[in-house]
Amino acid sequence: MSKIRIVHYINQFFAGIGGEEKADIRPELREGIVGPGAALNAQFKGEAEIVATIICGDSYFNENVEEAKAEIMDMVKKYNPDLFIAGPAFNAGRYGVACGTICKAVKESLNIPVVTAMYIENPGADMYKKDLYIMETGNSAAAMRTAAPALAKLALKLAKGEEIGAPYAEGYISRGVRKNIFREERGSKRAVDMLMKKLKGEEFVTEYPMPDFDNVAPNPAVKDMSKAKVALVTSGGIVPKGNPDHIESSSASKYGKYDIADFNDLTEATHETAHGGYDPVYANADSDRVLPVDVLRDIEKEGVIGELHRYFYTTTGNGTSVANSKAFAAKFSQELVADGVDAVILTST
Amino acid sequence: MDLENQNRVKNMTEKFGGENIIVLLGAAEAEAAGLAAETVTNGDPTYAGSLAGVQLGLKVYHAVEPEFKEAVDADVYDEQIGMMEMVLDVDSIAAEMSSIREQFCKY
Repeated sequence: MSKIRIVHYINQFFAGIGGEEKADIRPELREGIVGPGAALNAQFKGEAEIVATIICGDSYFNENVEEAKAEIMDMVKKYNPDLFIAGPAFNAGRYGVACGTICKAVKESLNIPVVTAMYIENPGADMYKKDLYIMETGNSAAAMRTAAPALAKLALKLAKGEEIGAPYAEGYISRGVRKNIFREERGSKRAVDMLMKKLKGEEFVTEYPMPDFDNVAPNPAVKDMSKAKVALVTSGGIVPKGNPDHIESSSASKYGKYDIADFNDLTEATHETAHGGYDPVYANADSDRVLPVDVLRDIEKEGVIGELHRYFYTTTGNGTSVANSKAFAAKFSQELVADGVDAVILTST
Repeated sequence: MDLENQNRVKNMTEKFGGENIIVLLGAAEAEAAGLAAETVTNGDPTYAGSLAGVQLGLKVYHAVEPEFKEAVDADVYDEQIGMMEMVLDVDSIAAEMSSIREQFCKY
């Protein structure tokens, strides 16, 4: 079998061109190995060969994504590679995003295996872990010693079409793929075994790891509620009757902003829920059950709160990704702040 | 070690010969000192600089190591380095440095 042909992508820093001051260089093609390619090549032990290295400045790539992608794709095509490797990017954010973006583009247009490597908190990891094999590395280039052999090993497996094992066995960042497998023992037995180990203080490995959600530190308390402008925000899917913006009943891709200045009470005739994750009967009969406009009007009159904000923001929370939720909030929080809102009541279902 | 310093070390080694060079480091932590020491002996472990894959094998010491301290004027040492010697973890720096020298030093 002839040697596996590889094209390698790195940034200006790893090419020895320079740091931030050179981050605006355009894509450049060099024959053979540059920089970390040497570390990878040593691991291939003659089975594979880096035939060309593409270098691009991180700023240039991220500020001219489409142009850079097209230029780089042309360079890759020239070499007709069997495999494409980008990085490792460690914790360099724009480099990580560039590695992920270009790997995905190569995979989709040339249909060859691609692989990259970065630190798990690199933003590129979150963006592309579902699409790509991304080897997990330490957070700085000092981890090259361990990153290069691991990346080279997975790269060879991919190029040879070998079966890729689970993330913990291969060292890549979990892609969220579930696979049915047969186990010797049934689930109940395994669960009890795990529990027994836990009780004895022994090590055990869960079969269903929970996603890592970050913590949100609470804001300081509102000093005087009687002067505060309060807004309502809900993931309970309350919308004006007929769901005018067609917010999805699950896995929402958008949120709505609706005026409640003229409402003292939400009724069956005016509002309903778009949420597909709970029995909507009671929310449809009286949407105040999820979005308590009536009660807030009462306490507004009583002077408990200063004022109810005239708009509420809404989406459906079921199956909606954390990333989407964060993006929604990042956007409408700015509007809330600009509108002088002092406090938000978040209601779910 | 930054790219510019790698170039300097490389150029000076070519000009004066590796046997005539001692690299003296001042990094504040053992890990950073070790990376710099590895760069001038076994090559840049990050593969980013001009010393990637270049095994110069130079003699390399840290300013707080006894080898250096004993070789220089005690008063000057005290004045210039004494303070840092007190605050740095000298033992772990020295251990890291001698481990790198044992593995990669050619002189």
